[in-house]
Order: sequence, then structure tokens, then C-alpha cells
Amino acid sequence: MSTLLTIDNVHSFYGKIEALKGISLEVRQGEIVALLGSNGAGKSTTLKTISGLVRPGKGDILLNGKSIVGLPPHQIVEAGIIHVPEGRRIFAGLTVRENLELGGFTQKKKKDVIAAGIEQAFSMFPRLKERSTQLGGTLSGGEQQMLAICRGLMARPKLLMLDEPSMGLAPIIVQEIMHIIREINKQGTTILLIEQNAKAALRLAHRGYVLETGRIVMENTAEVLRGDQSIVKAYLGA
Amino acid sequence: MDILVQTLADGLVIGAFYSLIALGYTMVFGIIKLLNFAHGDLYMLGAFVGYTLLSVVSGNGSGAGLMGIIVVLFLTMVIVGAIGMGIERVAYRPLLLAPRLSILITAIGVSLFLENGSMLFWGAQYQVYPLQLSHDGWEVFGAHITYTQIGLVIISALLMLGLHLFISRTLYGKAMRAIAHDQTACHLMGINVHKVIALTFFIGASLAAGAGTMAGAYYGTVNFMMGFIIGLKAFTAAVLGGIGSIPGAMLGGLLLGMMETAGTFLFGGSWKDVVAFSLLILILVLKPTGIMGEKVTERM
Repeated sequence: MSTLLTIDNVHSFYGKIEALKGISLEVRQGEIVALLGSNGAGKSTTLKTISGLVRPGKGDILLNGKSIVGLPPHQIVEAGIIHVPEGRRIFAGLTVRENLELGGFTQKKKKDVIAAGIEQAFSMFPRLKERSTQLGGTLSGGEQQMLAICRGLMARPKLLMLDEPSMGLAPIIVQEIMHIIREINKQGTTILLIEQNAKAALRLAHRGYVLETGRIVMENTAEVLRGDQSIVKAYLGA
Repeated sequence: MDILVQTLADGLVIGAFYSLIALGYTMVFGIIKLLNFAHGDLYMLGAFVGYTLLSVVSGNGSGAGLMGIIVVLFLTMVIVGAIGMGIERVAYRPLLLAPRLSILITAIGVSLFLENGSMLFWGAQYQVYPLQLSHDGWEVFGAHITYTQIGLVIISALLMLGLHLFISRTLYGKAMRAIAHDQTACHLMGINVHKVIALTFFIGASLAAGAGTMAGAYYGTVNFMMGFIIGLKAFTAAVLGGIGSIPGAMLGGLLLGMMETAGTFLFGGSWKDVVAFSLLILILVLKPTGIMGEKVTERM
């Protein structure tokens, strides 16, 4: 498997506070990689650094061998990385369909790609089709998460980064979301996943990284991490 | 009856101008939460650019002609739109992440710059517009409504219709509304946020410039300070309609225009501004969100 994303010794700062203290990781083509760790470990900052919202103070980020450090966020999306942020952040005052259309902003010259993307989203989540003219803010939490994921897929990303897709959702909805993430991966999209629910994440992922206060303290296959007693204790709440 | 109809007609014309200017106010506020106090001066700039272009077109005494007037209006809107975009690039963009107060003060600075710059360029005295609009018209219930008034209202309505279609149908229009909701999420969707903000300034400035040229032709004279009071009035209109709301700005402008004209009739011309600004105070006290402004509840 070839490497899709390489993060090489990245340091990120919020003002003077160093949130990432030299992170290195890689995501290979076709994988689901889980990023685990407690609150404040730097998981979200890692994603924000990749998507260009936070500019790293040091280090390099490569997509297919090409550096994307310093590009504005919209060009990183064009390069093929989509970041579905924590809290979903769908456009509450726009309709479901408009939310999806904006997800396809980078494809704006190709009307057929946008139309096909919307069809795909509707077939994946028929509930979104029923609500296509409703405002995004009127959807339930689970529906909003589905919309957020579909909106991200509209850009046809090579790498889909999901920040806490199960946050605040009922267990049965979490299962549905996890199932969909696996489906999206099977159809060829590489996924980098942050999950508070480490058990669920490690069931889904091929490999995982564990972050602690801005450093990676462990990396292995999901299988090994699932069996590791210290991980289980620290993050799986067993 | 005749007085009522006359008031409505006169108020509609002034209201249409207020609406066009209020739209720029409300769009810019919606997208970057800036009260662009220089916005009224773009209206003034529109009046002056239109004045210069019309002077060129009708320089040989042949008059501009209807086609000429429309071309001048269009050119003025493009030129002032570009100036509005330039102002955003130079004065506001570097301050987007700064505290709100810095950018607000900058807006006041830009306003002073435009006013005094225009005074240097076009002079401090009143300039007579090189265009005489016809005073012919119809008698409706005893009121005199000119073709000019009807034409101006129609042009304003077309501009607003165009804006409405742009905002609701095109991807860039939708991106504008989306940025007003959540700028970060827009970045993550691959939207070039700076480009959309620049476009918003272009549209806002060109609408104000359109109003400026039309007002110049309607009133017959222009002056470098003409944008000051009308900017504040348009701000009042935007707040009346609900700041951030585009239909609100259109409605607020028309309502303000009519109430002001009605107030002028009731209390006399010198009370015109008092009526408008009393209205502003009343809205701020009674319904600060304005007529159409409402909060969208968001599920966490």
C-alpha cells in the first residue's frame, strides 16, 4: 500500500502554547486510521493542522509526496483532503440540498459531478432526501452528522478526516455512522478518524495512533491496540 | 387621498434608494460582522462617478439619451464596485482577525478618506448633474407621479431581483450565506472565503453606486458629503429590517422612505431626519432584531 499522507515532525502552536510537539504519522492508501487520546492531547489540532486551519510552526505534511504546508485551506481541499469538523458545523440556515451543493464547491465547474454526489448522498441516507428542502438546523443530531459526512464527500476527497463523528449521538445512531464510515472506506476513500469512543474506533480502524499532550506515545495495528492493557485502561475505560 | 398617494410615491423612490444602500450594509455585516460606515460614501462616489461619466457622454450638448444613461449606470456600478473591493483588500482584510473595534474605526477612517478625497477631486461646492430628468407624469388620484419616479423604482426593483436570484440560485450566492453562518466550515468546504468576501463588497458597493447615480439624477445636485446622512439612514433601514437579513434590508429601506416622507408631510421638512433617527431608537429599544431578523436555533 502506498502512502497517501505523511506528517513529518510537525509542531503547532496556539499563540505561545505548543499544542503539537513533533508529531509524525502516516496514512496509507485505502486505510482507516484512528487517532486516539484524551481531551487536550492534540487530536483536533492535528486535523486542523492538516487541513490548513492551523499553520504548523515546524515540520512538513505531504499528500502523495507533495508538501501542502502553508497552502490556504481551500487549496488543501482542492488537493483532496476533506476535514469534517468536530460538532458537525453544518450550515443551519441553509437547506440540506444547499449544504450538499456547497460541499461540492471545488467541483463547481462540473455540474454533473455535483448532481451525482447529491444522488449518492440521498441513496446512502434516504432521510436526507426526504428533508432536502428543510433547513439544516432543523435536523436531528444524527441527521446532521450524516449531512456533514455527505457534504464532505461531495468534494470527492482522497482522504476524509472525521473529528468525533459519534459525539453526542445515541448508541444506535453511532452504530449506523460507524457502518457508513466502513462503507465509504470500502468504496475507496481513505479515512483518518478521531474518536472519543476508542472501542468503536479500534473495531473500525486498521491502525491507530495514541496521542498524549501533543506527542504520539504509541502506534500499532488496531488489533494489537485493542489487546494492549495500558490502552484499555487509559482510553477504553475498562 | 392625493396627499396619501403622493407621499407613497415619493416615499417609494427614496425608500428604493435606502434599500439599495441598506443591502450593502446588511450583506457586509452578515458576512464579516462589520458595520461598514464607509458604505454611504460609496453611494456618494457612485453619484460623482456617474456625474463625470455623464459629463463625458453628454459633453457635446447632445444629451446622454436613454441608452447612454443605462450604460453610464452600468459602468458606474462596475467602477465603484471595484473600488469597494479595493477598500476591502487594503483596509479591512488585514484586520479580519483583529478585534472588531479596530476594523470599525478603520471603516470610519475610510469614510473620511473617501469624503475628503472626493472633495479634493470634484470640489467642495454642489455640482449640478448634467442630466435633466423629465417631470412629466400621470395624475393619479390628484397626485403627480412622474415617469422618472416609476423608472427609478423599476430599475431599483430589477437590481434587487437580480441580487435575490444571485443569492438564492448561484453557488457563490449560497457560499455568501454560508460564510455568514460559519466561516471556518466554509474554509473546510474548499470555499475561497476571501474571494467571496471580496465579491460581497463588490456587489454591495455597486448597488450603493447605482443608488447614488440615480439619486444624483433625481435630485439634480451632488456634493461630497451627501453620503454621510444617507449612510446613517441606510443603516437605520438595515436595522429596521433586521441587520444581516437581505429581504429585511429591502423592506426596511422602503418602510423608512415612506415613514420619512409621511413624517415630512406631518411635521415639516426640517423634521425629516428626526423622524428617521427616532425610528432607529424605537427599533433598538422595542425590537433590536428588526422585522425580519431572527435567530436560527442551532442544535448542538
